[in-house]
Amino acid sequence: MRAYVTGSGQFLPGEPVSNDAMADYIGRLSLQAARLGRLTLRRNGIRSRHYAMRPDGTTDWTLARLGAAALDDLFARSGLDRRAVGYLATATTQNDLMVPGLASGLHAQSGLPPVEIASMQSVCASGMMALKSAALQVAAGEHAAALAVGAEFSSRYFRPGHYHGTAAMNADGTLPSDAEFLRWTLSDGAAGVLVEDRPAPRGLSLRIDWISLRSFADRFAPCMTGGAALNEQGDLVPWSHFPTIAEAAQAGAFQLRQDVEALHRMLPVWLGELMRLVDEGRVDPGGVDHFLCHFSARSLRDEMVALARKAGCLIPEDRWFTNLYEKGNVGAASLFLLLDDLLRSGRLAAGQTVLCAVPESGQCVMAYAMMTVVDGDET
Amino acid sequence: MTEVLDIAHLESAHRGLARAWIEFESGLAAVPVIARLLSGRLRIEDYRSLLFNLRQQVVDGGRWISRAASNLEHEELRSLFIRHAAAEHRDYRMLEDNYVAAGGMREEIRGGVKNIGSEALSAFMFHAASQANPVGLLGAMFVIEGLGNRMAGPWAEAIRMQLALDEDAVSFLAYHGANDEDHLAMFDRALAMAVIDAATATAVVRHARIVARLYRLQLEELDNV
Repeated sequence: MRAYVTGSGQFLPGEPVSNDAMADYIGRLSLQAARLGRLTLRRNGIRSRHYAMRPDGTTDWTLARLGAAALDDLFARSGLDRRAVGYLATATTQNDLMVPGLASGLHAQSGLPPVEIASMQSVCASGMMALKSAALQVAAGEHAAALAVGAEFSSRYFRPGHYHGTAAMNADGTLPSDAEFLRWTLSDGAAGVLVEDRPAPRGLSLRIDWISLRSFADRFAPCMTGGAALNEQGDLVPWSHFPTIAEAAQAGAFQLRQDVEALHRMLPVWLGELMRLVDEGRVDPGGVDHFLCHFSARSLRDEMVALARKAGCLIPEDRWFTNLYEKGNVGAASLFLLLDDLLRSGRLAAGQTVLCAVPESGQCVMAYAMMTVVDGDET
Repeated sequence: MTEVLDIAHLESAHRGLARAWIEFESGLAAVPVIARLLSGRLRIEDYRSLLFNLRQQVVDGGRWISRAASNLEHEELRSLFIRHAAAEHRDYRMLEDNYVAAGGMREEIRGGVKNIGSEALSAFMFHAASQANPVGLLGAMFVIEGLGNRMAGPWAEAIRMQLALDEDAVSFLAYHGANDEDHLAMFDRALAMAVIDAATATAVVRHARIVARLYRLQLEELDNV
């Protein structure tokens, strides 16, 4: 594929927020909720993150503005003028608006000229969807330069006012674990990459060798949801099917939920995709120099390592690159945050390979991308 | 060098088995009776039919495993198959007890015949077990033990909840959910002994894929005798 990551940028709002200070931002529900929070933090290993919401519940940010700030960072370090960009793909879990898409909102804030756009909406893997569409647009010759940007602003959904008075909340202020878990897992930020049809003239670029993304919704029910509530028969009812908006809100339809048990059921499927790529000769586990794996929790990482070792597809652990513990789980932006931090790390050398992995719990997606470091001068 | 290659074959077998399992699990979710179970719509007739149909095939379990044992060259593997056969060969009685606890008649389940899918599954097991040195059957065990280890426990709980049954009505599934973990650890050791070259790795994975498909056929053909 003739498509190269030639630039990257990120924006994380505000100062890092430590575990102890989290509740100042997402609010306090109950002692029981705080206990579950501490347990979740022990499992996911996250030590700090960023929030676009102030402790008083106000904000100057939207996804579109966060994304634009990440693009400012990208173009401040790129040799390309933003007027040369022809395509913008965005990724997020829940856009600022239900209509229109984030790519429109970001385009409006970005200072880009009229461009082709695409709004990818899923969960974490939407970042890979955006990257693949940008790479294919460039490789197909449709555009010489494209942007793929992921942005998340989850903290706004986690404030007590979004739970009080809904069926999800017990009288003592306790939420079910599928609703509480995400409050202590997700945080805010944006990042993106520039994809061009040739390597950057100076410095290192990443040649995108291939991107593989597969949905397993044929075999999994939705396990991370927003915008719906379960009825008594156990069926997910979209918020718009409730007789009134108030009833949808009361039923908790607007809350994000994660069936944590389902994550463990999905793990073999996510890893099975790596096994397929190993069997097909597309990944040589020992030959990967940098493994960028977006995992949402340290406990999942440990389980994955144990499974992979047996099947001979463990990427040696000294090749793993993560920023989860310092920057938090920023969903659709995570892939780009990882790529940007890797590109800035000074660890890359021409000829090295970079394998990216992005699992999505939503209804089970697994994506892998292989890239090779190239030095502009050599091509 | 040889040792390195052996590990590569074993790892390749593990990958193949894991991938066969993923296909199996996804296929199962689409089988009508399992789909009803997973979505909380199971009826008591479904459960009785499941027990009835499983029993007619499970009753053969100890037989094909011991036939395979008699044809195995590797002494440790043979020993393992013999122990496994001894452990499993009366399991079908639990199915009968569960059937009765779920409102069925003992003489009916005892007098049943295999459904079309069970016939195919059982026939393949006996065929494979009759071959010289049938190490590929470890792949069959992987699927069946995996079913016990990964699915049986949650299924038992779901069935109990949906049908308001007592534990004595789901003991077959609950027992396998609780015990097949040890069986899987034993399985890993057996696989390491058995997979000595590319051919055995391929045979194990192939048997797993065949058995996975035939097991699903058995569930698709409930009561089609």
